[in-house]
Amino acid sequence: MAQQASSWERLFLIDSPSLEVQEDVNKFIKDSLSTDRGPTLVNNLVDYYLESNSEQAVLLLSTLQEPHDKHLLDKMNEYLSKSTSRLPTLTLLGHVIRRQPSWKHKLSHAPVFLSLLKCLKTEIDIIVLTTGILVLITMLPMIPQSGKQYLCDFFDIFGRLSSWCLKNPGHVAEIYLVHLHASVYALFHRLYGMYPCNFVSFLRSHYSMKEHLETFEEVIKPMMEHVRIHPELVTGSKDHELDPSRWKRLETHDVLVECAKISLDPSEASYEDGYSPVSQRGSTHSWHRLADPAVSPYMDVHSSSGSASSTPYSTPRLNVAQASGAPSARLLTESQQDCTWSPSTLCGLSTPPTSPGAILTETHQLFRPSCKVFGTSAIGKGMSFGTPATSPPPASAPLCISDEPGHPSLAAGMVPPKKEERPSLSRQQSVTEELTGGIKTVSLHELPEVIEGLISEQDSSEKDKEEGIRKGTFVAVCTEQSGRVPAAISKELSEITTTDREHVSPRGGFDSPFYKKEENLKKSHSASSAGQEPSMDQPTTPLLDGSGDMPKQAFTPIESASKYRGDGTAECQEGAGVLEMTTEIVTPSPCKIPIEGKVVSNNTFPYEHLFELAFPKTASVFVSRKTDDLLKKVKRNEQEGEERATSLSPAEVLDRLIQLGADAHDKELNKLSLPSKSADWTHFGGSPPSDEIHTLRNQLILLHNQVLYERFKRQQHALRNRRLLRKVIRVSSLEEQNAAMKDQLKLQEMDIQSLKASLHTEQARCQQLQDERNAEVTHLHGQIRQLQHDREEFYNQSQELQTKLEDCRNMIAELRLELKQANNKVCHTELRLSQVSQKLSNSESVQQQMEFLNRQLLVLGEVNELYLEQLQHKHTNTTKEMEVLQAACRKDLERALTCLSQQSQRLESSQKRIIEVEAQLAKKEILLLEQKKYLEDVKISARGQLQALEDRYKAQKRITQAFEMKILALYSQMERESWLRNPSEETAEVAEAMEERMDSTTALVSTFSSGHGEEPYGRNGGNNTCGSGSNGNELTTPERLPSHCQEVSVPEPSSRVPLTVGSYPNSNSFLGMRARELFRNKSESQCDETLPIHSLFQTSKAELCKEVSSETKIAPGLDTSILPESHQDPRAGQLHIMDYNETTQQN
Amino acid sequence: MVEDSQRNFRSVYYEKVGFRGVEEKKSLEILLKDDRLDVEKLCTFSQRFPLPSMYRVLVWKVLLGILPPHRESHALVMTYRKEQYQDILHALQVIHAIQDSTPKVNIHLQMHLLETGKRSHNLTSPLDPEDEAFLAITKAMEEMVDNDVDCYWLSRSFVRLLNTKYRDSLPQLPKVLEHYLNLEDSRLLCHLKMCSALSRLPYDLWFNRCFAGCLPESSLQRIWDKVISGSCKILVFLAMEILLTYKMKIISLNNAEAVRDFLENIPQENTDAVVSKAVALWHKHCGTPVHSV
Repeated sequence: MAQQASSWERLFLIDSPSLEVQEDVNKFIKDSLSTDRGPTLVNNLVDYYLESNSEQAVLLLSTLQEPHDKHLLDKMNEYLSKSTSRLPTLTLLGHVIRRQPSWKHKLSHAPVFLSLLKCLKTEIDIIVLTTGILVLITMLPMIPQSGKQYLCDFFDIFGRLSSWCLKNPGHVAEIYLVHLHASVYALFHRLYGMYPCNFVSFLRSHYSMKEHLETFEEVIKPMMEHVRIHPELVTGSKDHELDPSRWKRLETHDVLVECAKISLDPSEASYEDGYSPVSQRGSTHSWHRLADPAVSPYMDVHSSSGSASSTPYSTPRLNVAQASGAPSARLLTESQQDCTWSPSTLCGLSTPPTSPGAILTETHQLFRPSCKVFGTSAIGKGMSFGTPATSPPPASAPLCISDEPGHPSLAAGMVPPKKEERPSLSRQQSVTEELTGGIKTVSLHELPEVIEGLISEQDSSEKDKEEGIRKGTFVAVCTEQSGRVPAAISKELSEITTTDREHVSPRGGFDSPFYKKEENLKKSHSASSAGQEPSMDQPTTPLLDGSGDMPKQAFTPIESASKYRGDGTAECQEGAGVLEMTTEIVTPSPCKIPIEGKVVSNNTFPYEHLFELAFPKTASVFVSRKTDDLLKKVKRNEQEGEERATSLSPAEVLDRLIQLGADAHDKELNKLSLPSKSADWTHFGGSPPSDEIHTLRNQLILLHNQVLYERFKRQQHALRNRRLLRKVIRVSSLEEQNAAMKDQLKLQEMDIQSLKASLHTEQARCQQLQDERNAEVTHLHGQIRQLQHDREEFYNQSQELQTKLEDCRNMIAELRLELKQANNKVCHTELRLSQVSQKLSNSESVQQQMEFLNRQLLVLGEVNELYLEQLQHKHTNTTKEMEVLQAACRKDLERALTCLSQQSQRLESSQKRIIEVEAQLAKKEILLLEQKKYLEDVKISARGQLQALEDRYKAQKRITQAFEMKILALYSQMERESWLRNPSEETAEVAEAMEERMDSTTALVSTFSSGHGEEPYGRNGGNNTCGSGSNGNELTTPERLPSHCQEVSVPEPSSRVPLTVGSYPNSNSFLGMRARELFRNKSESQCDETLPIHSLFQTSKAELCKEVSSETKIAPGLDTSILPESHQDPRAGQLHIMDYNETTQQN
Repeated sequence: MVEDSQRNFRSVYYEKVGFRGVEEKKSLEILLKDDRLDVEKLCTFSQRFPLPSMYRVLVWKVLLGILPPHRESHALVMTYRKEQYQDILHALQVIHAIQDSTPKVNIHLQMHLLETGKRSHNLTSPLDPEDEAFLAITKAMEEMVDNDVDCYWLSRSFVRLLNTKYRDSLPQLPKVLEHYLNLEDSRLLCHLKMCSALSRLPYDLWFNRCFAGCLPESSLQRIWDKVISGSCKILVFLAMEILLTYKMKIISLNNAEAVRDFLENIPQENTDAVVSKAVALWHKHCGTPVHSV
């Protein structure tokens, strides 16, 4: 709360005189606005504004950003519903809207808009109404799309207010009505421009009613005179014009200009159109066709015939005026000037269509001051007067031109009859004017052509003229357009102070048409309109009467303007706000005169003269020279001005000044007593109303509103102007590029030309060379021909020679052939000769032989005869012998054959027998083999058996040995026992026995060594007794052993003894028996004797054993070598030869 | 020829596929069917294959010459042999060289001694190494053969074979062993040489007794098959195989005596494998005898 309170407190500081404090507060509020979203601050600001009407508050409110707009609108809506605060609220709304805030599209949906409409429908206070309407008009182009739903409301408001203008139900002062009327007029334009179909249908329906008929006649109809038919009426429809797509491309200023386009009112339309709807039409049209490089027929027509061509678009009266004037002048210029300078070519070919618009706009802005200056001196009249004045002299031509554009404005303001005068005037001009005039007329329409095209192409003298023209055009432009731009020019032109300008410029900005209409209205309604007539006549009359006076009038304006301004300012200062207004309003037209006083308007005439004077040729040149610089400067200024939208622009300063002035005036008036005021007013010649001050104040408010509205429009135009300017710049740069390209093209063409020339020379040289070559060629050809001829001759000769040679050769060949043939013949003949000779010799020999043979034949024949005789004699004897012999031979032969067969049979039989015998032999052999094999088997098996038997025999031998040893051992034992019985005797015997023993052993050895040799005997003997032998052995062994011992001990000297001894174990033969007997005898006899030597026997036995062992050791060798022989019987020995397996078995 | 056709025609392929000895019995039977036994073929066969036990005694008898090649005379010869055995036995009994209580082995030894004529009267005198070998062989043979006559004859003939045919080659066998051991496992040989055990290996047991008493009879008879059929080299390989089999053990023993002790009493299990390996080793080094069947 504290903060709010402080902000509230600070709000009062906004308007503090100290700039610093103001800035601080401003800054603070802006900060708080950016941070705080609440409505309190905005509400407070609005409250404060309503209270104090503070400028700063307006500034702040109008720059409110998005989130606060709702609060502001709500607040305003709230205040709008209250009748007391309605006016300031509307004013505030106007301020805010003119700022074109970013949230302007929300306006149509805001309740404040509805309440505004409602207010306009119901309000009866004319000031509020006027303000409201202006606000509404300002708002309409911003919300073209969303505003359509309120169309009926708009139309209702229009209907109400238009009837109000006529009927004046509130019975307010007429001066207010004028304001209201103006605003209704503006609304009319706006509605017609934006929604033509709907509006027309509304008008149709609304004014078809009888009760409104009067209103239509009085109010609407005059308004309709200032508009032309909207193209939308032809092409569009009610729905189409409400189509949002139509408005999408258009910005607010576009909409404004759209509306201005269809206006015929010079003041209303002049913003965009320039001098006249026609020219504007042309320019706009050409502007539309910016992209078209080719010149359209329309353009041609338009440019060539000037306004005449554009008549269909513009009102006839103007066209007539211009068409009649301009073409004639142009015709003249065409006839007299260079062909390049024909306007048609200029506009058609070289002029960029856009430039006029741009230049125009530039000029608008540039020369607004001058316009003011010019315009203040009563434009309409001044212009009208000026034209005739300038026309006669070439120097004043620019002015004349400037007058011409002025015509439309005049004409627009004038009533029809005056228009009819215009053609005459123009005709006069055309007749009287010189070439320059013609040119100027052209330049009026197509200023850029003149500026750009002429500058580049015309001579310097012409340039001068053009400059003059430009100047003139500038002036003209100024006159038409009541621009408010500052400065430089105005300084140069006159000694106008800035304050003056400030005062003047807004006034100049006022729509003259409005006042004209006002005047028209007044003319129709009041008597004061009569003043118009003379004023209108005045410009025409001088024109018609004489041009001599005109120059003076033309020169007047500057001074007159200044003076007038001075007057104006004085008046203002005096508090004659009305006067101010009137001066401003009236300036374009004489209409103002009746309102405030004709004196003022009349006074302008001398000023115009002065103005004309102040515009000498030199000055015009100077001005023209300065224009370019000024253009730039002004642009810059403008931009700066735009940038400093929030800061005080001159216009705003003016606003403030007006307000301040009004305030000051109020104070002054308040100080003064009423009577004195009334006295003052009476002194001014007006009626002294009791509420004059109130009226004036209201008027002031109205004026202020109006001014604001106009400024808004100006801003919109400025926006548009900038855009157009940009295009102009681009176009000019393109132009320059074009020119550069053209130059290049020319250079290239030059190059081409030079190249062509060189080509020609080269071709000539080439030709020459070719000729020379041809000549040489022909010469050489001739030579060649001659040489060829020679060659042919030679050739022929050689040919002949060759043929001769051929002939010779042929001849030689023939000759040779003949020679050969001859040779052949010779050879042949020789051969034949030899043959013949041979034959001859042969035949000779044959003949001889023949002879010989013949002789032989004869001899043989004789012999033959002889033999025949002999044969016949001997034939019978020989045959008998032969037969006998043959028979004998046959018999012999048969005998031999039989003998032979017998012999062969024998042979066969014997052979058979041989075969049989052989077979038998083979069989026998096989049998033999089998037998052998069998024998072999048997032999082997027998050998096996024998082997076994052999083993057995050996074993037996060993057994017997063992037995013997045992027996001997037993004997020795017995002997020892017996010897022990008589140990004393027999020692000698023992010695003997020892000796015997020794002998026996040697004998034994000998028997053993020889025993093997006797074996066969033993075996032969023992074969039969083999089976019994073993039994016999066993039985006899006890007996034998002692005998053996005895034999050993008593060896026999005979050779048989060892045989028997050696073979005794084997056989039972009688020898063995005898030996046994002998052994027994000996042993029996020796039984007693051998006892003592028993001990000796022991030792001898040991020796024997050793011998046996040694024998056995030798045995293997004996076995292998001796045994096989021993046991082979003689048969085996015989078969030994056939024993194939012998070796293997042995192994 | 008829017999041949009766033979399994697959017999040729058994060996190729790796089944050895499938047809051995049959081929042996065929061999034995011949009227005159082909000793050489029997030798080859027995070298090549282990003999079936039912024919072993017969084959051995034939190979050792106890029976002649003619089967006709087998019975006769056998009666001779039997009588001879009886005679000797009787003689020994007569001379009281043996008693009833005397073990068969000793009887056989006495009989052998009697036959060779080396019988000493001094019964108490210590036995010769040859007699020891005979005893061992007879003892082993006794296990293999039931019949006493056969047993005596086989052992007698076997010993006689050793003493006659292999008399010269048996002493060479230790060198042969060293040679093959060097080929097979020089490291073991080195070890044996290192601990000077090579010269002290039980060669007597191995070569003179033909491992009798060293290996169980079931394994032993396979070795004797080879020995009887004419190859004493198998003894070398068997010895080498024993060394290789117990290589780790032998290497761990550094003492020559310990080695000898161990080798004299090698474990009785797994001897079949050792014998098989030995046979394989023998085949490897000496080549497989040509199968002439």
